[in-house]
Amino acid sequence: MAKGLAIIMFTGQAEYFIPLAVLTQTAANFGIPVRVFVTGFALPYFTKNKPEPRFSKEFEDMVPKLEEGIKKLNMPSWYDIIKEAKETGDVKIYVCSLMAEAMGLKKEDLDPIVDDVVGAAYFMQTTEGYQVIFI
Amino acid sequence: MAEKIVVDARNMACPGPITKLTKAYRKAKPGDIIEVLATDPGFKPDVQAWVQRTGNELLELKEENGVIKAVIKVTAKK
Repeated sequence: MAKGLAIIMFTGQAEYFIPLAVLTQTAANFGIPVRVFVTGFALPYFTKNKPEPRFSKEFEDMVPKLEEGIKKLNMPSWYDIIKEAKETGDVKIYVCSLMAEAMGLKKEDLDPIVDDVVGAAYFMQTTEGYQVIFI
Repeated sequence: MAEKIVVDARNMACPGPITKLTKAYRKAKPGDIIEVLATDPGFKPDVQAWVQRTGNELLELKEENGVIKAVIKVTAKK
């Protein structure tokens, strides 16, 4: 079993938030620490003025059925799952300082779900020996 | 006194049932029995993995009319 999960959340399309949420919550349930490094196109979804993530155009034919299925399952949103995972386990959400700077975002612009703004060195050091997942 | 706790996770999708079980487990006392009801098709292997991971005892695992029932004894808490 992994010592911890280091998830690098880079992609901003809606479908990628599903594995982010499910893996984070599952690790939290198992008592495995999770550290998420939010960077790239995922960053806007971790700000106070977060837009709703959109599904990739490439798979738009599949989206209506998927959305209907998710609704039928009463599945919480990715955001609510992450919030719950933070209550259940040892989960920290870090925003990439480079990307925050590039997008002109300050700490106060970020969603309360974010624990801190950090650099790659800090993230690498704190997740030493963890299993790395790039989303 | 050991208690029996019923966790109804029917109609919840992965990872909902295991999350609900984890939450109930947090509050449970040593010797308590947790009975989980779930309809998620992945629940059977998931609950076995959870039991293996947490070191508790799986007393019963069966499926009836599309509902999976897992009975767990809290043995890993001191």
